[in-house]
This record gives sequence, structure tokens and C-alpha cells, in this order.
Amino acid sequence: FFTSSYRFSSDEKPGKFQPPPKPVIIDKQKQREERRFLSPEFIPPRGRTDPLKFFIERKDMIQRRKVFDIPEFYVGSVLAVTTADPYASGKTNRFVGICIQRGGKGLGATFVLRNVIEDQGVEICYDLYNPRIHAIEVLKLEKRLDDNLMYLRDALPEYSTFDMNMKPVSRSDHDEVPVNTLQVRMKPKPWSKRWERPKYNIKGIKFELPEKTMKEAKKWSQPWLEFDMLREYDTSKIEEKIWKEVSEELKK
Amino acid sequence: MMPMWTKSGTKHAVTLLKVEDCHVLRYVSKEESGGKTSKLLVGGKNASPFSKSESTMEIFNEAGVPRKQKVTTFNVTDDALIKPGTPLYAAHFRPGQFVDVTAKTVGKGFQGVMKRWGFKGQPASHGQTKTHRRPGAISTNKAAKVYRGKKMPGKMGNIYRTSFGLKVWRINTKHNIIYVNGSVPGHKNCLVKVKDSKLPTYKDCNKNPPFPTFFADGDEELPEDLYDEDVFQFTDPSVTY
Repeated sequence: FFTSSYRFSSDEKPGKFQPPPKPVIIDKQKQREERRFLSPEFIPPRGRTDPLKFFIERKDMIQRRKVFDIPEFYVGSVLAVTTADPYASGKTNRFVGICIQRGGKGLGATFVLRNVIEDQGVEICYDLYNPRIHAIEVLKLEKRLDDNLMYLRDALPEYSTFDMNMKPVSRSDHDEVPVNTLQVRMKPKPWSKRWERPKYNIKGIKFELPEKTMKEAKKWSQPWLEFDMLREYDTSKIEEKIWKEVSEELKK
Repeated sequence: MMPMWTKSGTKHAVTLLKVEDCHVLRYVSKEESGGKTSKLLVGGKNASPFSKSESTMEIFNEAGVPRKQKVTTFNVTDDALIKPGTPLYAAHFRPGQFVDVTAKTVGKGFQGVMKRWGFKGQPASHGQTKTHRRPGAISTNKAAKVYRGKKMPGKMGNIYRTSFGLKVWRINTKHNIIYVNGSVPGHKNCLVKVKDSKLPTYKDCNKNPPFPTFFADGDEELPEDLYDEDVFQFTDPSVTY
């Protein structure tokens, strides 16, 4: 069944030449460059410290990154860290866990990994720039709905268990880091913190509490906080400058 | 303050002190000052000359130096005298030396007796009437007076205090920064006096320091960063056991 356009192309008249449609070129290199990740410990906190101190600290951090590769990871990704341990056989110690918190700024930046080993929850806080760390491998790179997954302590242990010999999940260099919209189920109350309260602003828990409790928790909400201008800290320009500095130094 | 790791993997906290425009202002001889040794007046951190009278500006004009925010005295032996007007740099100290740091502590204002002197106070309940953070008794019956120096509420902080025996881990000659072990009295960006340690354990610690001081126009060319032998430098590979 031929349409009229087909008839024209198979016509004997060679004058009516229709050029083929232009191919759409997706420049993957450009897309990769547009996506930047600046590790959160590079951004200086608000305060009265001399910016020279942050500059010198950043020099040290870049030095360390040139020798030892610190990969990009977020709260909610599964990492494996090998540290030097004088008391372990083979002198190295490997720990696998989900990153629940990234704290600290500058050289003292830390991240906490959580895992459940033989029914015992274990959390280890590592310094990112500690010279005793031999390798940080990202086994599964993903983000979660919250910045802070401390509520996993009160969640069912299945959400914090990861196999120590887990294989790294392969992913090609996509643009976006996948966001895991998992809603975690909790153990019965009492919890270590009242996670249902609006001050924690947690989106990753499936609250199975009665409506009365949820309504009472909203009493502690502070709706004026988001409009407080003194709390605003716009880091976009600072981030741009620091990103330029860091990427130039790392390329050398 | 910053963390710093040694070659064996232990972590230490380190305070960064910046040497900002320090000049020697005047030499005071032993007889003039009336002490045991002669003194050198040193000034630090430039400030505006317009808000001070002519008489106070005399010292700075003689030395040919802009007005300084703080002037301190150092007791110096006669072989270590420096000409007034010479600048002092962070390279005056070397890694491995031990140092005393003096500064005015953070001012806390008028404080009660529990915070100022560490008194225990009184219990929160069990019948206490309006007495939870008070000093209680201030003297005995027989004394019939309150002794001088009795610990009572008052202004706390903003006084000169010294941390003794702090190790110098690293010196940055380009930006004139001294990395000193541990914490130092004073708030962020406050003025601080750094001296060689007076503790007897560190009497023989300074091996060949720059004497009388480090002169920038001399022949010595120092690298940008001077490290102590134990410090882990970030250009090295990771620590192994």
C-alpha cells in the first residue's frame, strides 16, 4: 500500500530529489561535561573565618585527590572501604555499607557507613582524607529521598543489610544519578528519634502510624522557617568558583 | 583549626596562625627597662594611623613602619638583637620546635559562679527555694569576713592566657602560616603572641633555628612548605602497616 510521497520517490523524473532527513547527533561528551559534581566538603560553611584558610585546606584536599581517587557518591549509595589496620591479618580491613550521612567540611569531612552483620547493626564513621584508607569503591551509586538516613537505625534490618561480597552494579555514564524512591518500613515505636516530626522532614519512611499521631506531630511544624531570610545561604556562586579551581587543578 | 595526620596514621588537631606584617619597633636596653635582659618591642598587623595621637605614633615613625594594632615585648639576650624596622616572618620558627602561645581568651561577659569557677550549685528539686545556681556559703563564722579573691560571679574571659609546649608541625613560607598542635586561646582571627617554649622538657629542642631571625632578603631560599619529619604529606601514597 503506497502513499503519494513514495510514488514520487520511485518516479522516473530524477529532478524531484528529496534529500534524506538530517541525522540528530547527540554529543555525549558535551552532556558529560555539563554534569558536574562538586563534593559537599569543598563548600565553605558560613562564618567569620578567613577565606585564606579554606584556600589552603582546598590545596591539601586537591593534593590528596591527585594521589588517591575519591569517587562521587551520595547518601544512600553502597560503598566498600579498605583501610590499613595494624591488628588485622593481611594488614587491611574491608567494610561494605550504605552511606547514611556525610558530615564535616574541608579535610575533616566524614561519611558514616551502615551494615547489619550477623544480626548486629554496625556503623563506621570514616574520614574521607584519612591516609590510612586504601580504596573507596562505589558498589551502587544512587540517591535517596533524604539527605540523612539515620532513621535506618529504627527501620527493619532488611533495609540496612548488604552482602559483604556484593558485586559492583554496573552503570554507564548516564546523565542523572538514579533516585531510589524506596519507602522504608519501621520497627514498632519507640524509636531513637521522633522521625514523624516535621523538623526532620523525612520523605523516605512509610509511616504506618495512626492518623491521630501524625496530626499531633504537625503541631511542631515551623512553617515560617522556609521564609526566614537570615537562614538563606546561596552557595551557587561560591560553588562555581570552587568548581573551576578544583577542576583546573585536578587536570594538571 | 584543621586535622593533620602523622606517618603512622594518628590524627592530630592543628591551629593555623598567620604572621601578618610583624616588624621590630624598638630596642630597650637592660638598664633602661630595669629587667634582667634587654627587650625588643615588636608590632603586628597594620592599622590606620589617623585615629591615634602624634605621641603614640612616634615609635612607628622612628622605625619607619606603618602603625601596628598590637605592640608586645620580648625578653631577648644581647646576641639576638635585631635592628628596629626589620620584618619578622613565619620562617623564624621551624617544624619540630615547641612554642608557647598567648592570647586574650574569648570574652563570655558577666557570668555566674557555676560557669566561671565550676561550682556545683544546688539540686533542681527536693524543696530548693529559688536556689539552683548560687554560690551558697561565702565564708566561715569564725573568719567574720570574706577573704580577698573569693570566687564570685563577674566578668569572665577577655584576659591573657598562655598554652604551653605546643609543637610546630608545619610552616607555610608563602602565606606566612604556622601550624601549631592543639588549641590556642582566643577567638577566630584574634591577635596572638608566639614565643619559644619556656618548659624545661623542651629546653634543648631547637636544633639550629634561624638566629637571630629569618631574613627574607638573605641567601636562603626555602621551599613553600616546611614539614616536620613525622607529618604525612598528601603527595605520599596511603599509609600501610
